[in-house]
Amino acid sequence: MQHFFLDTTLGLIILTVLEALAMLVPLLVGVAYLTYAERKVLAAIQLRKGPNTVGPFGLLQAFADAIKMITKETIIPSGANRALFLLAPVLTFGLAMMAWAVIPTNNHWAVADINVGILYLFAISSLGVYGILIAGWASNSKYAFMGGLRSAAQMVSYEVSIGLVMVSVLLAVGSLNLNDIVLAQRHVWFALPMFPMFVVFFISALAETNRAPFDLPEGESELVAGFFVEYSSLSFGLFFLGEYANMFLMSGMTTILFLGGWLPPVGIAPFTWIPGPIWFIAKILFVLFVFIWVRGTFPRYRYDQLMRLGWKVFLPFSLLWMVLTAGFLMATGLLPHSGS
Amino acid sequence: MHVVLADYFPVLVFVVIAFGIAGAMLGGSLLAGQQKPYAEKLSAYECGFDAFDDARRRFDVRFYLVSILFIIFDLEVAFLFPWAVALGRIGLFGFLSMLAFLGVLTVGFIYEWRKGALDWE
Amino acid sequence: MDQTVVRSESIPKVRPAGSAPAPVQEVRDDVETLWVSRETAGDVLTRLKRSAPTRMMLFDITAIDERQRTHRAGQPDSDFTIVYHLMQFDRASKAPHREVRIKVALLMASLTMPSMVDIWPNANWYEREIFDLFGIHFSGHPDLRRILTPPTWTTHPLRKDHYARATEMKPYDLTEDREFAEQEALRFNPEAWGMQRRSANSDFMFLNLGPNHPSVHGVFRIVLQLEGEEIVEAVPDIGFHHRGAEKMGERQSWHSYIPYTDRIDYLGGVMNNFPYVMAVEQLAGITVPPRAEMIRVMLAELFRLASHLVFYGTMSQDVGQLSPVFYMFTDRERVFEIIEAICGFRMHPAWFRIGGVAADLPQGWDTLIRSFLDYLPKRLDEYEKLVMRNRLFKARTVGVGAYSLDEAIEWGITGPGLRACGLDWDYRRRHPYSCYDQLEFDIPVAQKGDCYDRVVVHIAEMRQSLRIIRQCLDQMPGGPVKADHPLTTPPPRAKTMHDIETLITHFLNVSWGPVIPAGEARACVEATKGLNSYYLVSDGGTMSYRTRIRTPSFAHLQMIPLISRGTYIADLIAIIGSIDFVMADVDR
Repeated sequence: MQHFFLDTTLGLIILTVLEALAMLVPLLVGVAYLTYAERKVLAAIQLRKGPNTVGPFGLLQAFADAIKMITKETIIPSGANRALFLLAPVLTFGLAMMAWAVIPTNNHWAVADINVGILYLFAISSLGVYGILIAGWASNSKYAFMGGLRSAAQMVSYEVSIGLVMVSVLLAVGSLNLNDIVLAQRHVWFALPMFPMFVVFFISALAETNRAPFDLPEGESELVAGFFVEYSSLSFGLFFLGEYANMFLMSGMTTILFLGGWLPPVGIAPFTWIPGPIWFIAKILFVLFVFIWVRGTFPRYRYDQLMRLGWKVFLPFSLLWMVLTAGFLMATGLLPHSGS
Repeated sequence: MHVVLADYFPVLVFVVIAFGIAGAMLGGSLLAGQQKPYAEKLSAYECGFDAFDDARRRFDVRFYLVSILFIIFDLEVAFLFPWAVALGRIGLFGFLSMLAFLGVLTVGFIYEWRKGALDWE
Repeated sequence: MDQTVVRSESIPKVRPAGSAPAPVQEVRDDVETLWVSRETAGDVLTRLKRSAPTRMMLFDITAIDERQRTHRAGQPDSDFTIVYHLMQFDRASKAPHREVRIKVALLMASLTMPSMVDIWPNANWYEREIFDLFGIHFSGHPDLRRILTPPTWTTHPLRKDHYARATEMKPYDLTEDREFAEQEALRFNPEAWGMQRRSANSDFMFLNLGPNHPSVHGVFRIVLQLEGEEIVEAVPDIGFHHRGAEKMGERQSWHSYIPYTDRIDYLGGVMNNFPYVMAVEQLAGITVPPRAEMIRVMLAELFRLASHLVFYGTMSQDVGQLSPVFYMFTDRERVFEIIEAICGFRMHPAWFRIGGVAADLPQGWDTLIRSFLDYLPKRLDEYEKLVMRNRLFKARTVGVGAYSLDEAIEWGITGPGLRACGLDWDYRRRHPYSCYDQLEFDIPVAQKGDCYDRVVVHIAEMRQSLRIIRQCLDQMPGGPVKADHPLTTPPPRAKTMHDIETLITHFLNVSWGPVIPAGEARACVEATKGLNSYYLVSDGGTMSYRTRIRTPSFAHLQMIPLISRGTYIADLIAIIGSIDFVMADVDR
């Protein structure tokens, strides 16, 4: 049996498909329940009950929503470009899913343990803007168009800071492999020595996922729903799921880059009993909780303020910090030697 | 070559499955939902009015500016990735040459800042 | 009873040079009322504006169709009368409170009036309203279009010969063609509204914001001319919520109109009953007993709290803060619990009566209010941390949508929006009505007049309202809650079965409604959003001859273009939120 899966081509393909499904199916369920969790957490913050009718504690709400969305009419505006209009949500959702190919949930537990994992993530998250831009353009509606433009400009602006933060981490790791990045945090999570970078990364992650207080592209009170204002049914659902999958992804990246991935907080007895994936998921959930918490607390930025923060504060700051990190590591001889 | 392919094969599988799911969901919804379009339903949202004109039009040049700035800095970051990984091996010389590169970039950045390219007003 | 006759020595200031003294009209309120000719009206108004020690606001312009009015003794001949209402806004130390009413008679043969837009910019919408509803032309008006009725409308509803009931008109049928025509008429045409489609270096985008938009607080439409994200010009379009409340006043008995007033500013509840019944009481010469006065004030302040809490919550919601609105609505529920215990209703109490209030306070009202008075201040402290000290909230509101005190007066801004500019002007203090003169309270002000300051003033006012309510609680006098007067409606029950006289009065009051003596009176209150005034004309009948409702929201919306030019869409949303209006109050 083991022979079949590891040595024949067909077996290898089946194994890979199974691995991918083992990653994607829990992820999809997780995304569905993230929407539920967000509603519950927000409700708790706002002294409400949240979903509580469908199933015990409203636990089946996610499925009810899915069924509802699937059976709704897909409205394609008459002025829209039909093909692009339908492509956009597929692209957004697909990209958010794709990124998970390289995320390690335990030591060498990744579907594709490639040696340029972080570059792959960087590339995928850069592509994310296309789905939104295409949606804004294809809808042929002013609100969607403005939302798409805002979103594109916002995402690329914070992309740069995210890149620079990643470089700072890489300096301390000396590898592009995500597995190596986590293992480099055996002694101390990068969140501690690189705390300012951690903050910049987290805030940029909020901006990158269009979350409050950076939810301008879909600013409810201004652009109504922004780039997906014209979407209905599951074409809307895919955007929705894509956004939440992106939140998962960004939380996963935060965990891998700064919170020690699957590693327990301290490498001693009671902590090491808990398996790595549990730690990994727990950390992701914590970061996600903070995402929702922020949404329940802060007002929204204005567009110029958001761009100023990205370009005039985060960019110079992360650039400077990156150079300082490099200089410090050079001076103290703590630089990891590549390939060792 | 073969090793690289083997490394990336799972990524390909992942892509196929991810987009497959997305496509299937969308297609399923198109089949499952009743489609009853009519003119008002299909008109673009503009707060209850017919749109004045086409939404696709010339828009603010600042969006272009942002994308151009993005390309510059994203390329820079792309350069920095291999440098960061290899810094341990290329040593002081590598560090200084990247400093020089960043210095030039910073000059450009300051220039943009002073020119107001980063302002949104 | 305050049936003040205008003191003649206060008039000469407004007499145009060289002409005969303007005829003074006797009215039932204390507003100097005088007639001027159409030709001199502009001069008189300019003179009044200039001669005021500092600032004279054009408070209201309205019209009266006089053609069916019978009690007009001593007034010049007129088919349609234009009424300008001016009010002086100064610091208390500078000048006594002064209001002037200028009337201009127009005859059917020439229904034209020179526009006053050059003197006061806020005359614009008022004149459009009169044009729309009375069909009076204003020469020199820059943009004389219909404002409340749809552009396809053909009649002038407030004319006396216009039908007022559904049974008097043909059934309305919205065919597909007609629907299309209506839509087409509402389509925005930049040229017709005096806008350019493009500038030298870019095309403008025209964007419809509203009426179907989550943050325009009702059915309000603003057309935006955008350059990128920046607003070049904003054109408010109102009237989607117009339901002819003033016309209804002419077809409802004095008593049965009270519930209609509730629905003018639906967040303000009794704030609408209040000026209406006060105006009727002035016409009828009723003095309200002290207990009723204090109950009225207490309820008014409770409704101020309820309305301000909604304002606070929606304002923070408009700038993207999701949670505070839930907390504040929870608190508002507490207010409504009290109001419900007293009135039986929550938002639309219809609880004030001509001559008093509907019933006495229920048992246990004081404990209900006392526990609320202890509860709210702590909550307000918490919201202060959550909203007002939030740096993002400040970044979105400080310096946004600011106007100066002079601009505020020019545009007819009253209420918190005026006090945010640094003027401690409050009608409750400047011209105390009901029992406000017996109560202690401060007038909160802020200095910069921006969105943030408007919120600051609202919050400070809530604390003052709590203070007033506590005083009402402690000082509530005993005695009847209705005046002992034949026109009190409905009369106290014990008095109705006394003898045949009282029984007949009761019977007539209930079946016809009270007959209010002929005359004119206006009552004004410091409502939640600004000055709310009801100007009533009685022709000695069971129904009002003319009901004019001057609402603060109408005036405030007119200023939006001025303060939103050059800002971003997001700022406009903050501005709209900070203005504190409801569309029912605007369109009436």
